[in-house]
Amino acid sequence: MNVIVHRVAEFLKRFPPFSFLSKEVLEKVAGSVEIRYLEKGEILFRQGQAAETHFYILKEGVIILTESIQNQEEIRDECDEGDVFGVLALLGKRPYVLSAKVQENSLVYAIPVSVFEEVLEQNSRVALYFAAGFASGQVVIRQDLSTGQKARGAFKNESRDHSLMIFSDQSEIKFSEKVLICSPEHTIQEAAELMSEKHVGSIVVCRSDLKPLGIITDKDLRNKVVSKGISLETAASKIMSAPILTRRKDTSFSDLYLTMIKNRLHHLVLTEDGTDQSPVCGIISDHDVLLSMGNSPAVLIHGLMNTLDLKEMRLIRDQAEQMLRYYLENELTMDFVASVMTEVNDIIIKQALRIAENSLANEDEVLRKIPYCFLSLGSEGREEQLLRTDQDNALVYEDVPEALDEEAHAYFLKLGTAMVEVLLACGFASCPGDIMASNPKWVQPMSKWKSFFTEWIIRPTEEAILSSTIFFDFRAVAGNLGLGETLSLHIYEEIQKKKIFLNFLAKNALMNPPPLGFFKDFVVEKSGEHKNEFDIKSRAMMPLADLARLLVLSHGVIGVNNTFKRFDRLAELEPNYEALFKQAAKAYEILMRTRALEGLKNQSSGRFIQPESLGKLERQLLKNTFSPINELQTIVKVRFQLDYFPS
Amino acid sequence: MSWWNFGQKKVKKADFVEAFLLKNQKQIPAIRSLDQLEFTVFDTETTGLSIKDDYILSLGAVKIRDQRILIETVLELYPNSSKSGKKTAAIHGLIERENQIQIRDFAEQSLEYFGNSILVAQHIGFDSEMMQKACRPFGLEKLPNPMIDTMSFAIRLELGPHADQSQVKPEDYGLDALCHRYLIPTEDRHTAAGDAFLTAQLLLKLLKKAQARGIENFGQLIR
Repeated sequence: MNVIVHRVAEFLKRFPPFSFLSKEVLEKVAGSVEIRYLEKGEILFRQGQAAETHFYILKEGVIILTESIQNQEEIRDECDEGDVFGVLALLGKRPYVLSAKVQENSLVYAIPVSVFEEVLEQNSRVALYFAAGFASGQVVIRQDLSTGQKARGAFKNESRDHSLMIFSDQSEIKFSEKVLICSPEHTIQEAAELMSEKHVGSIVVCRSDLKPLGIITDKDLRNKVVSKGISLETAASKIMSAPILTRRKDTSFSDLYLTMIKNRLHHLVLTEDGTDQSPVCGIISDHDVLLSMGNSPAVLIHGLMNTLDLKEMRLIRDQAEQMLRYYLENELTMDFVASVMTEVNDIIIKQALRIAENSLANEDEVLRKIPYCFLSLGSEGREEQLLRTDQDNALVYEDVPEALDEEAHAYFLKLGTAMVEVLLACGFASCPGDIMASNPKWVQPMSKWKSFFTEWIIRPTEEAILSSTIFFDFRAVAGNLGLGETLSLHIYEEIQKKKIFLNFLAKNALMNPPPLGFFKDFVVEKSGEHKNEFDIKSRAMMPLADLARLLVLSHGVIGVNNTFKRFDRLAELEPNYEALFKQAAKAYEILMRTRALEGLKNQSSGRFIQPESLGKLERQLLKNTFSPINELQTIVKVRFQLDYFPS
Repeated sequence: MSWWNFGQKKVKKADFVEAFLLKNQKQIPAIRSLDQLEFTVFDTETTGLSIKDDYILSLGAVKIRDQRILIETVLELYPNSSKSGKKTAAIHGLIERENQIQIRDFAEQSLEYFGNSILVAQHIGFDSEMMQKACRPFGLEKLPNPMIDTMSFAIRLELGPHADQSQVKPEDYGLDALCHRYLIPTEDRHTAAGDAFLTAQLLLKLLKKAQARGIENFGQLIR
């Protein structure tokens, strides 16, 4: 045994539950430990925070576990050498119910849950140890635990109950059908009186026929009336927010909720037919939503928007991943899931921009005033990035006078690098191909970017085509978004001029062979680290993404980035292939879900899947997603006359 | 070619050396926070203290990422050598080792492991010279990685950045003294991996101390 592993194992085996382990298992566990050093006052984890991927044993020092109840901190336990804590991470991955604060400088051994779960399953003594709540600060779960297997099942159910939120079930969401209304002629004073009388934060301004005109909220009274010193006798219609967004009352909850998140609405008015031309019949507030779920995208997004602290941003992004798991397991629509995760990622990028700008506050004013835009590429550009796989991004800034060229480039490289560093700190992996806004090559003024794209389109070398698959899915995320539009427009104009580019793109889209082999089995990697594993990204997802990109480009469609939305759009554009495109959209959604779940399960990018690890049903489901790939490839081959195209 | 390596044989770089140098071409941005840095903490056991005459008997190393010592990354290598290690065998009890590897494999595996991480060792000047010597036959002239000597780092943190290192008593900053002062139990001393592990624990504690002094990123760490 390695000297260091041996040293760690020697420590662990002095304490339960590690003392119950065989030499081999102990060595495996010891070999996976991470050692952290924390100083007095630091917090290892917080109450309510999503469980981490490790639980802990204290090597030296003192850590106290506290519970805050109505803003009172109460000490629940004190850990010293050999105490095991933070085990909620292990038992069902629930959010922590206690906070761990460092009382004296501490050395902590972190044990990966993924490694120990197996132990828990196989060693009933260990399972019992945890079940009986010996580990410090654990809430004791008393169950009949005759075997380890049983214990695990029990823990699993436990985790269900404590899942992040409940909203697959519409009945869970209570919104009020009694809506407080007033007429446009009411004065502000009267409207405010009504609101305080009914103890509500909003009032809907309606015509006599109950069709909604606008809404007044507490915030409006603060921002538009009190702070501006407007007379209280003013008509309510003068300060209402209008026009308002409305939805049908029976719209699915995820739709309603998504509308609120995307438009940052605190209140959403429901009407009979969903337009503002029919009577008001309900209102849903974010408060209603929060009550129903405790932990929600709205809370996470709100948290993100109010912090520039890297550690906190990272924690929130980790929490979003918990939420993601819940969504996926509960089969929420991929449209909804991808939108929420994209929103979270985008806000992180926007905050990264603020952090980067703050860090460059001392730079020349002239440079700081140059408009620029941060572009997300690849999967984040397509609004499909669920896990924090490779970041692909770039930066474009407005053309500057020649004399400023070098200075501007240096400045934006600094800015881009700072943004990329924030994303790294939030857990987004670095791009192996170095396509990031920290690479001088991909931080360029507008004219340079235009010439890059023109070059790729006019001279579609193999390398250019490879770039196109990443760069052509760009999306302006933060900064001056207009620059992104300018660039998009340029690209579409260039493609119109040089349509043959599409044929090259088409050829590329057929490069990946169908994912099923001759014997109707998965095509797995023949060699290397991932031998005998199925590469779901390059075998199944990339071909679909490539096909979707090609076909929407060929229709000159702008602004639809998402692969499954691209297919939905194609279904509208080409009614004779509607069924096939719809099937392809669905297939892509299934692949995204499968990959994300696989990644969450293995703490990986989810890209490589062992076919035999899938159940029979999952295998069949996955195989079914392949059939549109073949069909689409055939269509593309004919449509772009690739048989006659020089290779 | 400058005058001083005139007459010296220019060794063709092995593929793994080329790959290693290529990886190190990209510099770590100065603003990268400590949490994002990768450190390789290592120690070598040698036949003696002469860079010219002695050679490496073993290398022990472990990585630190996100300010965590990752036990799964531990590495121990025992290069094979034509000369026998009788000299230190007496001190360290290292006699014949199994799993010795060819010196070429040793160089390749070590460099691959180092990658473009920040190298850390107690008295790193000596250990890095020994590593360079071992890799020179394969075309590596100098390790390009940023380096931290835990001894100098401790002096900087304890006595301030402008401390006169010549005024410092070396015995106060030896690994034993430092471990004693930073409350690190000294087990497994005098094995390369054992010393690397102690040095890694020392670095964890020094990094915390550095952060308290406002050293937050790579640029401030490696001045």
